[in-house]
Amino acid sequence: MDLWQLLLTLAVAGSSDAFSGSEDSSGNPKFTKCRSPELETFSCHWTDGANHSLQSPGSVQMFYIRRDIQEWKECPDYVSAGENSCYFNSSYTSVWTPYCIKLTSNGGIVDHKCFSVEDIVQPDPPVGLNWTLLNISLTEIHADILVKWEPPPNTDVKMGWIILEYELHYKELNETQWKMMDPLMVTSVPMYSLRLDKEYEVRVRTRQRNTEKYGKFSEVLLITFPQMNPSACEEDFQFPWFLIIIFGILGLAVTLFLLIFSKQQRIKMLILPPVPVPKIKGIDPDLLKEGKLEEVNTILAIHDNYKHEFYNDDSWVEFIELDIDDPDEKTEGSDTDRLLSNDHEKSLNIFGAKDDDSGRTSCYEPDILEADFHVSDMCDGTSEVAQPQRLKGEADISCLDQKNQNNSPSNDAAPASQQPSVILVEENKPRPLLIGGTESTHQAVHTQLSNPSSLANIDFYAQVSDITPAGNVVLSPGQKNKTGNPQCDTHPEVVTPCQANFIVDNAYFCEVDAKKYIALAPHVEAESHVEPSFNQEDIYTTTESLTTTAGRSGTAEHVPSSEIPVPDYTSIHIVQSPQGLVLNATALPLPDKEFLSSCGYVSTDQLNKIMP
Amino acid sequence: MKGSLESGSRLLLLLVVSNLLLCQGVVSTPVCPNGPGNCQVSLRDLFDRAVMVSHYIHDLSSEMFNEFDKRYAQGKGFITMALNSCHTSSLPTPEDKEQAQQTHHEVLMSLILGLLRSWNDPLYHLVTEVRGMKGAPDAILSRAIEIEEENKRLLEGMEMIFGQVIPGAKETEPYPVWSGLPSLQTKDEDARYSAFYNLLHCLRRDSSKIDTYLKLLNCRIIYNNNC
Repeated sequence: MDLWQLLLTLAVAGSSDAFSGSEDSSGNPKFTKCRSPELETFSCHWTDGANHSLQSPGSVQMFYIRRDIQEWKECPDYVSAGENSCYFNSSYTSVWTPYCIKLTSNGGIVDHKCFSVEDIVQPDPPVGLNWTLLNISLTEIHADILVKWEPPPNTDVKMGWIILEYELHYKELNETQWKMMDPLMVTSVPMYSLRLDKEYEVRVRTRQRNTEKYGKFSEVLLITFPQMNPSACEEDFQFPWFLIIIFGILGLAVTLFLLIFSKQQRIKMLILPPVPVPKIKGIDPDLLKEGKLEEVNTILAIHDNYKHEFYNDDSWVEFIELDIDDPDEKTEGSDTDRLLSNDHEKSLNIFGAKDDDSGRTSCYEPDILEADFHVSDMCDGTSEVAQPQRLKGEADISCLDQKNQNNSPSNDAAPASQQPSVILVEENKPRPLLIGGTESTHQAVHTQLSNPSSLANIDFYAQVSDITPAGNVVLSPGQKNKTGNPQCDTHPEVVTPCQANFIVDNAYFCEVDAKKYIALAPHVEAESHVEPSFNQEDIYTTTESLTTTAGRSGTAEHVPSSEIPVPDYTSIHIVQSPQGLVLNATALPLPDKEFLSSCGYVSTDQLNKIMP
Repeated sequence: MKGSLESGSRLLLLLVVSNLLLCQGVVSTPVCPNGPGNCQVSLRDLFDRAVMVSHYIHDLSSEMFNEFDKRYAQGKGFITMALNSCHTSSLPTPEDKEQAQQTHHEVLMSLILGLLRSWNDPLYHLVTEVRGMKGAPDAILSRAIEIEEENKRLLEGMEMIFGQVIPGAKETEPYPVWSGLPSLQTKDEDARYSAFYNLLHCLRRDSSKIDTYLKLLNCRIIYNNNC
C-alpha cells in the first residue's frame, strides 16, 4: 500500500485532470492518449516534447502499475504501437483493474495518469463497407440501396465480449457537410430514395456501447449508379388539380342544367324556389297592366272578404261616419254590404227611418242589386267611398247626408276633397274614377251648393245602386237634405215623393227637381258639362263615358242614351269633382213616365230633353 | 368376466380422463423441467430482458458518476480509485476475455448473482444518503433510485435464468458485504464526498462487469457464440 500511497501523492501533486493532456510549457513528453481497441489490449502514446533534441534517445520511460501487482513496471512493448507509445498485449491487460502509468525523462517524472481499461475502449473502424442495389423506382429517378460493413476484425463481437454501436455518415459527392444516421447495432442499413443521377459517399464508425468515444471512421465508400437512360421524365408526380377542377365544374354545370330543365318540379322547387311575384288571388297581373279594370273589378267583387277589409280601413268611411248621426248606421256595416246583402228591408228601413232626418233614401231596387250588382252602392251617408285601389269598382256614391248639407261649405268641401274616387264597374271596362281630379268642379259645386240651401246638401257621394246589363251604372241618391231630398229610392216601398228640393250632389233626383235645379242651375263649368247641374258635387258619368273620360278633368261628354228602362238609372257622364260624378244620359231607355215617377233619377238625355 | 370388464372400463375411464388432463396440460402450458410455474417465459426472452436491464443499469451508473464527478469532484483530486477498492473486489471475477471464456457459465452466473446481491444494501443506503445530501441534484438522486429498482429486477431475472440453466443448483454462495456506510455519513464533507465518489465509481465498474458477463453468457448459451 505504501507504493499506492506514494502514487496517490504523486497523482495529487500532479495535475488533477489525468487525461487533460495540457501543454507543458517545459516541453516535456506528455501522454496523449491511451486506448484499447477491443477490450483486450491497450496502448498509450505520448509526445516527444519540445526538447527532444536535448534528450538522449531512450531516456523517456514509461512505467505502469496495477493494483494487484503493486509495483512499477516498465512498458512491455515500446514498438508495437509505434513511436512514443507503449503497447500492452492481452496478457498485460486486465479489464476492470485500475492502471496508473508514468512517464519519465531522464529519471524525472514528467507525466502520469490513471485509468481503467474498460474506460478507454475505442474500436477500430469497421471494414468491408459496400452497397447493393435494392430496387429502382418506376420513374427511374430514385433507387434504394443497402449499405453493409463488417465490424473491426479485432473485436470479438461473436462471443459478445464487446458490443458495438455504429454510426453511418453520408453525403452527396459535391456536398461538404456529412449527414449522419442514428446509431445502429447491426452491420447493415438501407438507404432510400437516392437519386440515380447523383453520386454519394458513405462512411461508418463504431464505438463500444455505453461509451462516449467513437473510433475512427472507415474508408469512404463512393456510390455511383450505372448510367440509366436519361429520359426526360417528370420528376414529381403532380396531383392533377387542374383536371379535378375542370371535371368538378363540368359536373356541377351538368347537374344544374338537369335541375333547371328537369320536369321534376319538386326538385326544381326545392333547389330554385320561385320568387313570389306580387299578385292578388285570382287576378292576373296582366289585367292590371293593360288597364282592364272591368275584369279586375269583377274578380275583386267576388271576394267579399276584400270588401270587408277595405271598408274597415277606409278613411272615407270614417269620415262619412262622422257625419252620420245615426249610430245604427255605423253598426250596420258597410253600405256596400247592405246593398249587396239581401237585407234590403233592413237597409231600406234604415233609409226610411232616416228619411226624416237625413233624407236618406235607398237608391236601389233589391232585384237589381241582387242581379248583377258589382258595386257596392250605398245611399247611406256612411257609404264607403271607393278608393283608387279598390278595384272592385265599388262606386261610392252616397246620397248626400243632410248633415253634410247642413254643414258648412267647408265641411262639405272637406269631405269632398277627401272623397276618394268613384269607381264604377262596368262589365267590360272597369276603371277607377278619380274624383280627385275634380277639384275645380268642387269649387264650383261648392259655390253652387251654397246657393240653394236645399241643394246644399252636398253629400258628394252618390251611390251606385246597380249596374245595368248594358253597363250603365245605377246611381242612387246619397244623403239627403233635410229640406227634403227627393226619395232616391226607387223602391216602391220607400219611394218618397220627390221634393222640391233635390240633392244637388246626388245624381238622382226627380225630374221635377231636376228641372228646378236646372232652372236654378248656375253656371256649370263646361268641363264638368253638368247639364243637369246637379252635379256640382257629384258628377256621374256613365261607365261608357267613364272609359273615355276617365282621367280627363272634366271633359264632359254627352252620351246620348236611350231611355233608361229603369228610372233609377243614370249614366255617369263624367267624373269631375271629387265629390261625385256627372250624370249623363244613360244608355238605358227609360220611359219618361217611369222616369218621372221614379222621381229620383234623371237620365242625361232626359235632362237634355228637359233642358232647353 | 364381470371383474375384468369393470376393471377394463375403469381403466378406460382413467385413460380418457388422464388423456384429457394431459392434453389440456400440453396445450395450456409448455413443457418445462422445473414445473409449469417457471416456464412461462423462454430462456431467450429472459436473457434478452436481463441484457437490456444490465445495459440500462450500466448507463445510469455511468451518467451518475459523470454527474457527480462534474459537480463535486472537479478539482478536488478524488483520484481514489487507485487507493480505495470496491467491496466486491474479493469476488474472483474474470479480468479478461480469455479468463471469461474459460469460466463456466455456472460460475459466471453465480458471480453475477453475488455481485447483484452485494449491491442491494449499498444502493439502498446510497439513495438515502444522496437524499440527505444538501443541494443534491435531482439527476443523481433519480438515477440512484432507478438503479436500486433495476438492480432488484435484474436480480430476480438472473435467479430465474439460473434456475433454468442450472436446474436444481443452490444459490447459497456468500456475497461480499458492504461496510462503507459510516464513511458516507461522516461529517467531514470532503471525506464524505470522497466516499460517494468511490462508491459511484465502484458501481460503474461492477455494472460494466455484470453487463459484459451477461452478454457473454447470452451469446454463448442462446446464440452459441455467434452473436
